[in-house]
Amino acid sequence: MEVASHEDWQICFAQLGPALVLFARRWTQSRADAEDVVQEAFVRFWRHQHSLENRALLYATVRSAALDRLRRDQRRQRREVIAARDDETHYEPEFASDNESEELLAAAVARLPNEQREVVILKIWNELTFAEIAQALEISQNTAASRYRYALNALKKNLQPHE
Amino acid sequence: MNDFSELEADLKKLRPAPVSQDLAQRIEAELQRANSVATAGVLPARRVRSSHWQSFGLGCAGLAALVVIAFTYFDQAPQNVATSEAKSSAARASGFQPVGLTQTVYSSHDEGLVFSPNDAGNPRRRLRYETRETMRWHNAATGASVRVSYPVEQVVLTPVSFQ
Repeated sequence: MEVASHEDWQICFAQLGPALVLFARRWTQSRADAEDVVQEAFVRFWRHQHSLENRALLYATVRSAALDRLRRDQRRQRREVIAARDDETHYEPEFASDNESEELLAAAVARLPNEQREVVILKIWNELTFAEIAQALEISQNTAASRYRYALNALKKNLQPHE
Repeated sequence: MNDFSELEADLKKLRPAPVSQDLAQRIEAELQRANSVATAGVLPARRVRSSHWQSFGLGCAGLAALVVIAFTYFDQAPQNVATSEAKSSAARASGFQPVGLTQTVYSSHDEGLVFSPNDAGNPRRRLRYETRETMRWHNAATGASVRVSYPVEQVVLTPVSFQ
């Protein structure tokens, strides 16, 4: 029983780990922070669920853990009075791109507004349905679908060769 | 039919960067530690409760002190006040009557999802309210009044249902 559950989480994490970290990057300043968030969320989720039946809940847990961390970091930053600070901080997701066209595509994804990028990340690399995305992000299915459509439109526009 | 099928296919070719090699080991260690400590909860309930009870205790202590001061001031205070019940009856005997209790919520935070170990791992939304409670007594005979105000932090867990 113990062994089976051990193997289960390893299989799940091997499949989902990179995409979970990619999702968590939206709220973190570094990849290491994103991995810490995923670690915390995955442990929290797995201890109670032991399966991936409710995938939306896993992503909601990652989001919740990331927001908790963001709040803690913001409190710390306020105390330390950080002088240089971007109002609209933009954190780029990371991809293992092999060629120039993939790099261009990755850069275009990174330029998407946060709200659109997270929907694309959940849809493309985490393979969630719009219903699951809506649950994970606490938005309506229509909103999830329209953000996805806007994102793909923007990507298409960005990738078109300029005159 | 889908204008974006080609773009979606290109996006799917992009692979998120692999996670650090030690991330799975860290998760395994955390899961093992969680298994070995049955009550290693995610909920910071103990801290919250402690804070809540500290505030309540502080409020009660302040209330007791003010009641004693008020009795001394009006030269009607009993020498030994043993319990809050005794204090209440003494207050009534001295002519002080409770005239009001107000609770003002001045801040509320949605702290995201948590998993209660006492509820089969079902998720709950944690809402934190910071309030100020004010109790007032009035002595109709002398026109004196006593007011005690103290901060209270409340954490409310509401069930969340996905689907």
